[in-house]
Amino acid sequence: MKAKHIQHLYNRVGFGITPNELERLSNKNKREIIDEVFTNSSKTSPLKADISFLKDIKPGDLKIKEKRQELQKISRKKIQKFSISWMERILNPSEVFREKMTLFWANHFVSESRNNILFTQNYNNLLRENAFGNFRDFTKKISKDASMLGYLNNKQNRKKSPNENFARELMELFTLGQGNYTETDIKESARAFTGYSHNFRGKFLMRKRHHDENEKTFFKKTGNFNGDNIIDIILEQQQCARFISEKIYRFFVNENINKEHVAAMTAVFYKDYDIEKLMRFVLQSNWFYDDENIGTKIKSPMEFLAGIHQVIPYQFERPKQALLMQRLLGQTLLRPPNVAGWKTGRNWIDTNTMVRRLRLASILLNNAAITYSDTGDEETMLTDLTTKKLKRKTFIKTKTDWNAFEKNYKKIDNKGMISLIISSQINKGTAQMLSDNLDIPKKDFCVQLMSIPEYQLC
Amino acid sequence: MKRRDFLKQTTFASGMFFVPQFLKAFEQIPTKTFGNKKVVIIQLKGGNDGLNTVVPFRNDIYYQQRANIALQQTDLLKISDEIGLHKSLVDLQKLYDNGFLSIINNVGYPNPNLSHFRSTDIWQTASNSNEYLQNGWVGRYLDYTKANPTKAIEVDESLSLLLKGKTQNGLAVTDAKTLYNSLKEPFYKSVINANTDAHLNEHNLGYLYNTMIDAKSSAKYIFEKTKVKNASNNYPKNLFGKQLKTISQFINSGLDTQVFYAGLTGFDTHANQQNTQARLLKIYAESINTFVEDLQKNNNFDDVLILTFSEFGRRVKQNESKGTDHGTANNVFVIGKNLKKQGLYNNLPNLNDLDANGNLKHEIDFREIYATILDKWLQVDDAAILNKSFSKLKFV
Repeated sequence: MKAKHIQHLYNRVGFGITPNELERLSNKNKREIIDEVFTNSSKTSPLKADISFLKDIKPGDLKIKEKRQELQKISRKKIQKFSISWMERILNPSEVFREKMTLFWANHFVSESRNNILFTQNYNNLLRENAFGNFRDFTKKISKDASMLGYLNNKQNRKKSPNENFARELMELFTLGQGNYTETDIKESARAFTGYSHNFRGKFLMRKRHHDENEKTFFKKTGNFNGDNIIDIILEQQQCARFISEKIYRFFVNENINKEHVAAMTAVFYKDYDIEKLMRFVLQSNWFYDDENIGTKIKSPMEFLAGIHQVIPYQFERPKQALLMQRLLGQTLLRPPNVAGWKTGRNWIDTNTMVRRLRLASILLNNAAITYSDTGDEETMLTDLTTKKLKRKTFIKTKTDWNAFEKNYKKIDNKGMISLIISSQINKGTAQMLSDNLDIPKKDFCVQLMSIPEYQLC
Repeated sequence: MKRRDFLKQTTFASGMFFVPQFLKAFEQIPTKTFGNKKVVIIQLKGGNDGLNTVVPFRNDIYYQQRANIALQQTDLLKISDEIGLHKSLVDLQKLYDNGFLSIINNVGYPNPNLSHFRSTDIWQTASNSNEYLQNGWVGRYLDYTKANPTKAIEVDESLSLLLKGKTQNGLAVTDAKTLYNSLKEPFYKSVINANTDAHLNEHNLGYLYNTMIDAKSSAKYIFEKTKVKNASNNYPKNLFGKQLKTISQFINSGLDTQVFYAGLTGFDTHANQQNTQARLLKIYAESINTFVEDLQKNNNFDDVLILTFSEFGRRVKQNESKGTDHGTANNVFVIGKNLKKQGLYNNLPNLNDLDANGNLKHEIDFREIYATILDKWLQVDDAAILNKSFSKLKFV
């Protein structure tokens, strides 16, 4: 397989590739390499939070307000830590493609549980475990996940007063897309999800007396449907396979849909909703390696941060600065903006995030200062506003593993580094500037490569 | 013909289409102006308790529902026989007395959402409560006017949804100098100057270059335009005071910005509300009053309208911790020089008529306020920006 294509594959299923790996794979053919990608991600390593503080908690404890608030406070701290360890996982993944898929699903089945670390952890691992599984089972599990039951109010959905929030988003955002169902479909399916709930450990419970046992008419079928039946009926619509295929295409191939390619994907996926089969089909396709798909996708903040790490490993000395970085670039893990998730592609880039991205390599790799002010969000309670600094200047302190860089890029000269770091076409003037700079030290040249607009693409 | 004149004429004659976008870096091409009216939007983040801000001190239900936290008549700044402002709002009362304040009560939206974040989204995007929009109403204003990023500024480090449009974005700036300096290094200069591709905006790479160039020219514009101007020194020494000071510097320097956005945090008063709210409202009122005085001194107050909102109000009945939980409808303050309706815009909430959760029912949709500002103040097509037509109010 051509080096350029291997690089492209690894940019999309992971966060880049080292020169050694690239060399090792260059003798293999496409099928072998793709098989290896899947084999390397066949296991699931769940991400674990320390939840020992919940061990002796009994359901009654949560009824006491003070106790509940105390637990929530601990949980919120643990969720921050969990978010940091998720980022560490993304930077140092054992199953790289699975982690990439997990990021995809986290922006598809969007949920959030701000006050419960257990639910947060379970939800995150649910995404990871089912990343290559069966979409039907996956969707059903999501509908019963404690974090989702809370986030979209399905646990408040009762026979007497149905709450349509989950039913609506299930169709609008998770399976069919806007305009592919009616308001009646929402009302009827909401009734099928009544009585859904969970216990305080997050285990799914059906509260029978709140479940509507009467007949529902959904997509022209009538019966005493429950939530699982509704999901089955939704998946009978080919539109569901198309909707997911389009989303996969935008994330892994190109933000601009090619109808023919998506139609082929839809045909594969509709057969049995097997996610792994769909992904194999995409990566095997010749069009995946078309020039128009290489180096044309704007990296998400996570792809950007992990991509730098792939070339020059770094570690935040103060782990919380990882969260600051996420926030300043516009993608805080576990804190999606809303149920529609992060807007991707060009939406990652505004003047502020652009300036930050251009400067990030030098900030991360040279311990440079970054100024920011913290105005706090809606839940922030400030105890003393006057002592809070008006503007903070903080030094991003990282441990940078330049040795790893020197070792990995030993055989590569500055000129050779360009095609290894940059996958996009390079603007003529910028290319000229780079070739004028070929004689500067390798480290500096690498930081320069990571500071040009072209580096934002993969 | 000088190159500069040529560029301007081409722009006007043929629209922006034939002028490569990147030339913006070298020439400030004026976009079509839609008047010089400005709007300053302020969010009291966390959900300010409106009922303890504008207080119905003759209402028995108010005192019944809030045994520990109700404000007594003697502690209030009376503005009518029945209504008093929180005692921290001395400076706001000055504005009220001058006829610069209009208090719009019971503002909300149907099927209110009690999550801070979701409700903030709803206010910022001007969506229905079951609708998820990916752009803010100010962002869509920028789309509509095809404006430069400098037309809407958020005084913060990152850009809120409010200022993000479909094609245009506003700018987040706390300090023009830092932003200016961050791209001033010779390296970025040569990347920008070396850029020779004339078909930039068609693909993602072009978009990235344009954004970089936009960032540079916006930062340069703001930095150069404001560096000479000083502001009053009376602003309270805290983040919010600093934000308003920055905005006044921007306005008084003659920046072309039309919308500013700032926020004061900490109103989520679930416990021991009284002290927290008193302190925050004081900061709010002092900062706003200083800001208005600053604008007046520079003869700019005529063109500025200040809108203050919270993502929601709070529950009528207090909780067990001497605080209040998330509620719904709330009051909105509009501050300006020539208001059509000064003082109380409408009646205070009816505490006899609450929703199933014990929350206030809204009377005015918040989007009617936006529609009014867009239509009557900024003079643009409000329905095109809000995706729907709303009835207009009569405060401007």
